Amino acid sequence: MSYTAIKGLQSEIFVPVTPPMVWTPVTKPMNEWIVAIATAAGVHGVDQERFNLSGDFTYRAVRDSYKPEELMVSHGGYDNSDVNKDINCMFPYERLHELAADGVIKGVAPTHYCFMGGGGNQEKFKNETGPAIAQNLKEEGVDAVLMTAG
Amino acid sequence: MIIAALPPVVRQTGTPRATAPLVPMGANAGAPHDVAMQYAIYKESLEFLRDCETPGKIQALNYEYVAKV
Repeated sequence: MSYTAIKGLQSEIFVPVTPPMVWTPVTKPMNEWIVAIATAAGVHGVDQERFNLSGDFTYRAVRDSYKPEELMVSHGGYDNSDVNKDINCMFPYERLHELAADGVIKGVAPTHYCFMGGGGNQEKFKNETGPAIAQNLKEEGVDAVLMTAG
Repeated sequence: MIIAALPPVVRQTGTPRATAPLVPMGANAGAPHDVAMQYAIYKESLEFLRDCETPGKIQALNYEYVAKV
């Protein structure tokens, strides 16, 4: 018995095509950067709307002023136990403040951006959610974004 | 600039700059309450963002955390 449906086909499993890379050059010294976090880990404030665990392309603007105990995760695609113990595992904003205090970076952005990866409408993510987050970061004067995902 | 627990996935999505400590999904920035590890992963990721000149490069970071599941 042959498992090959089409001769010469390299993969019979759908594999997304790797998109062209977006390359933004660094133009400032690191100690002049305002840095924000963007994470697909499903982080948000306890007072904000939870993500829909079956797929959600929306994002939450998470103020930097939240205390760790005021933040939570709603994400069904990975083991939440570490991030429930310490939000900094995926949303290390306290480390960013320490880096700013040590002069490694200039400062921390007033808002971070969080969404729920691992599914959802990829077209919406690509064409609406991603550009909206990037626009917000630009308007807020952010120089660099550290992301946790994948 | 992505801190990745799954570097092959990050490569597939066309990420221009990434670092990869040896961590599980859910602790990309380091072990819970390990301030020194998290700080180092974040600092070295920022330094890689500053220094990387090759799009698509994934820099391994020499930090390891194995979750107790």
